Amino acid sequence: MKTLSKNLLLFSICLFTLTILFRFSLSSVLQNRLFSSIWIVAATYGVLVFIIGWTFGKRDNLHLPLYDIGFRFHLATYIICNLIAELWHLIGLQSDYENISYIHLTAIFWGIGLIIHYVIYLVTRKNAIKGIKKSEIFE
Amino acid sequence: MSKHNPLSELLSAWEETYKKGQLTLWIFLSLKDGKKYVDEIKTFVEEQSNQTMSCESQSLYRNLRKYQHVGVVNFETGEGNKGPERKYYFLTELGLELLNSFIERNINLFFNNRIKNLINREEKQ
Repeated sequence: MKTLSKNLLLFSICLFTLTILFRFSLSSVLQNRLFSSIWIVAATYGVLVFIIGWTFGKRDNLHLPLYDIGFRFHLATYIICNLIAELWHLIGLQSDYENISYIHLTAIFWGIGLIIHYVIYLVTRKNAIKGIKKSEIFE
Repeated sequence: MSKHNPLSELLSAWEETYKKGQLTLWIFLSLKDGKKYVDEIKTFVEEQSNQTMSCESQSLYRNLRKYQHVGVVNFETGEGNKGPERKYYFLTELGLELLNSFIERNINLFFNNRIKNLINREEKQ
């Protein structure tokens, strides 16, 4: 299966940039004790990630309809978000109000969700030939 | 109630459903005829189907990418007409085998004498 497509790569680059900006904004807002503004940063990040996921996911499907129920995009999101969060703390760019244990907990619980998604993907893959849903190959 | 000719309406409805699965067969037939780039496939399909089949280039590209991905079609690049290089598509060995099996199981049925006679019989029941 063609795992790393052009659209997935573009999505990953955009997500990487957005996540860096999000981490920077979040740490700045927290460090300046602007606690009531956190939701604006989080919501903006969430909406933007949704938009790029929707855009590149749709484009990817139009290019080649790989039947992976969004698993490749989910995996890329998991790796990028958690890797940046961990590195952010390892380098020491976090605010005084951020704790790395929350990053670990997020990675664990999200990881469980990712594993469930992977299992569902493996089950649905039986309906596909080389990653394309049987009913969509010759439609 | 519609004022249109019921025959024409029913024929359109039937053809709409019937054509949905036909494009693959026409594309494969055009490639069995020889290597072609997308515009040539489009022309072949439209001409040989007496314009009853039409297809957009984008739709053809998408279908060809799927066929290539599953290994029934491949392409080689060749010189374009004063433009960029073109992709010349062709059926792989698997693709040819698939087309022949499909024709044998689904198309050749129409060539047995009884069915041929029924198709050609014009008198009204």
